[in-house]
Amino acid sequence: MNLLRQAYLLLCKDLLLELRRRDSLLTMFFFGTLLLFVFHFAFDLPPDKIGELAPALLWLAFLFTGTLGLAQLFQAERDNHCLDALLLSPLDRGALFLAKTGFNFILMFLVELVVIPLFWILFNLPAWNLIPQLFLVTLLGTLGFCVLGTITAAITLRARGRELLLPLVLFPLMIPVILATIRCMETVLKTGGVADAMGWLRMLIGFDVIFITIGVLIFDSVIES
Amino acid sequence: MAQSTNALKKSKGILGALALLAVAVGLWWSLLVAPPDAYQGEVQRIMYLHLPSILTAYLSYFLVFIASGMYLWKREPKDDLLAHAAAELGVLFTALTIIEGSIWGKPTWGVWWTWDARLTFTAVLLLIYAGYLVLRASIDDQQRAASAAAILGIIGFLDIPLIHMSVYWWRTLHQPPSILRPDKKPWENVHPAMLTALTISFVGFLLLYFYLLSLRYRLGEMRQEIKALRLERGI
Amino acid sequence: MGPWGYVALAYGIVWGAIVVYWFSLKRRYRDAENELNRLRSLEAAPGHEQN
Repeated sequence: MNLLRQAYLLLCKDLLLELRRRDSLLTMFFFGTLLLFVFHFAFDLPPDKIGELAPALLWLAFLFTGTLGLAQLFQAERDNHCLDALLLSPLDRGALFLAKTGFNFILMFLVELVVIPLFWILFNLPAWNLIPQLFLVTLLGTLGFCVLGTITAAITLRARGRELLLPLVLFPLMIPVILATIRCMETVLKTGGVADAMGWLRMLIGFDVIFITIGVLIFDSVIES
Repeated sequence: MAQSTNALKKSKGILGALALLAVAVGLWWSLLVAPPDAYQGEVQRIMYLHLPSILTAYLSYFLVFIASGMYLWKREPKDDLLAHAAAELGVLFTALTIIEGSIWGKPTWGVWWTWDARLTFTAVLLLIYAGYLVLRASIDDQQRAASAAAILGIIGFLDIPLIHMSVYWWRTLHQPPSILRPDKKPWENVHPAMLTALTISFVGFLLLYFYLLSLRYRLGEMRQEIKALRLERGI
Repeated sequence: MGPWGYVALAYGIVWGAIVVYWFSLKRRYRDAENELNRLRSLEAAPGHEQN
């Protein structure tokens, strides 16, 4: 309980900061939209073909925008030695992990909220009724991305060239999430439900649960003053 | 002190000699004694390299995992040195496995590379642990580098089963395993001489691995001593 | 390239790479050893206590 309460307070702090400055969110929005235009030019395809590619393209966009967000994740803490202050306080480091994961998750969720419908509009895709299911799958994948992303952002925090290092370390680890999400989305688009991809969905949930647990347990060693 | 170092050196020398011997016998068996494969012919001899090197790489990653966990628990630098040494060797053996697989693939499958589940999985392993080495190299503070690397050593290893599963499902859902899978042959079909060659090769790889590991570990140890002495001297 | 060609290529690359790695490891090992000995002898040398 205490853990969750601490996490909630930290999350509120981060959201408040973001609300005042809007650094990450705006950049991520623009970048996500920009990618859609790039995709349009790169894959000059009829709507039915682009529909087949939609899961993969959307996930590429989310991966890139998400990485952009992760690179900024600990920026506020780095800038004014706030991290040291945060670590001096009697705070469960697991709460810090949950808060940061939650923060990045919310940012990515907001971006996805815009980018997915925009994708449908820009590429004239017909299946509007499937968007809720697609969102469900996307959110599970996004959670997995944010969980491992927060851990890797934290371990690359003090590295030289960390913006480059972060995707280098993170992307290979994300392969289960990327594959599972894309397969689930494809199944949704093809059959209208996730029933045919239950194995993938289970794996996605398993991934989220495993790495949230590990993150809470291990974050103590990840962040050191 | 000097005596124990000498004894250590001597044992390392013995290990190295044993490795050399086993590797030589292994080469002789796998290239000359073992019969050619009934289906693939002589090309199948690459298996005597391929299987031992990937198993050695797996062993290495397991060592990275264990040593990383020990480091986070006890915070002793020697565990970190072991993890670092094992990761470096793991990357070497994984890279070699991919090269062997590629050379084996050309005559059997007709292509140097195919997005077969096993190949893809091995390539991802290489990426993860190459990332591990890059991460280590780009953090200056030794202690921070050690804990960051230990975290990656743990989450990376725990991620491996999931990656394995997802890559396999991805392939099997798309297309039936149409590719010839020489490594999936039932054991009873294997000629005893082939099995002997494989075993000797594997022993050779293992001995060689531990010999290289001990050298690499000692190198890390000496580098740390040098750093400490320099700090003391103010050089 | 015949089957033996592929076998030779694979064995050549693998053992070549391992030998190269071994040599480079040996070299790094020797360098570290020399440096360590140098630093230790500095420590033993008289006159350094002044600083």
